Amino acid sequence: MNNRLKVLRAERDWSQAELADQLGVSRQTVNALETGRYDPSLPLAFKIARVFGQPIESIFTED
Amino acid sequence: MNTSLEAPRPSFLRKVALFGVLAVLGGAFGYAFATLADGVLTRWEDELAVIMAAAMIGFGVITALVVATRPSQIPRGCGVLQVVVMLLAGIMFLLPVFGSAWTTPEVVFGAVLLLLAVQSGANLMLWRNADEMLRRVMLETSALAFWAVQLGLFIYAAAERLGLIGTISGWGLMGVLMSVYFIASIVAGARRGLS
Repeated sequence: MNNRLKVLRAERDWSQAELADQLGVSRQTVNALETGRYDPSLPLAFKIARVFGQPIESIFTED
Repeated sequence: MNTSLEAPRPSFLRKVALFGVLAVLGGAFGYAFATLADGVLTRWEDELAVIMAAAMIGFGVITALVVATRPSQIPRGCGVLQVVVMLLAGIMFLLPVFGSAWTTPEVVFGAVLLLLAVQSGANLMLWRNADEMLRRVMLETSALAFWAVQLGLFIYAAAERLGLIGTISGWGLMGVLMSVYFIASIVAGARRGLS
């Protein structure tokens, strides 16, 4: 699965640690999400969508 | 304005200092284990247990250093617990090998059970504190280790039943299991970018 997390985070000038704090996960998890090494659970995907104020399908796309 | 969106990277000097500390610790561990093991380790099961203990204690010390110097590298609330779990696991692997030289086997066994209870509690707290990716890594480690161990155990058991190879003690099997689990945890962590 592809995602626009890094771009969205950069647009807001947030560090990985800041985004991790908002999501309630570790910085390593944010890094793994951005590099495509980990696909989030549905609850985490919804949380990410809420934090960025965008629908899930605009953040995550199929390969 | 935040100019760096990535976590700050350690300076070259800091890396060199950390490398130096690790080198000294590695040397100290090597010397300590070599001294302890001299004349005591006569079975491959004990040698494997000591190697595993050294690896786990070494990883525990490295994790402690990372917690102290770069806490953002470790999931929040998990660093100290990871250190406790690793160090206790290492000690529990050393006690059955060296403990009876200092006291009775019953006392050593009691100490092992006590440490096991504390370590199980720390493991449970680690699971509860971990975020979903770290839990996923733990689950994948368990699955990978189980698959590898049951495969190896079946092959060994079949060969042993047929009288093709000798019997391995429970202590030896435990050392093999822990080795496989240790490697599985490295593989599962590396797949998610944990190092």
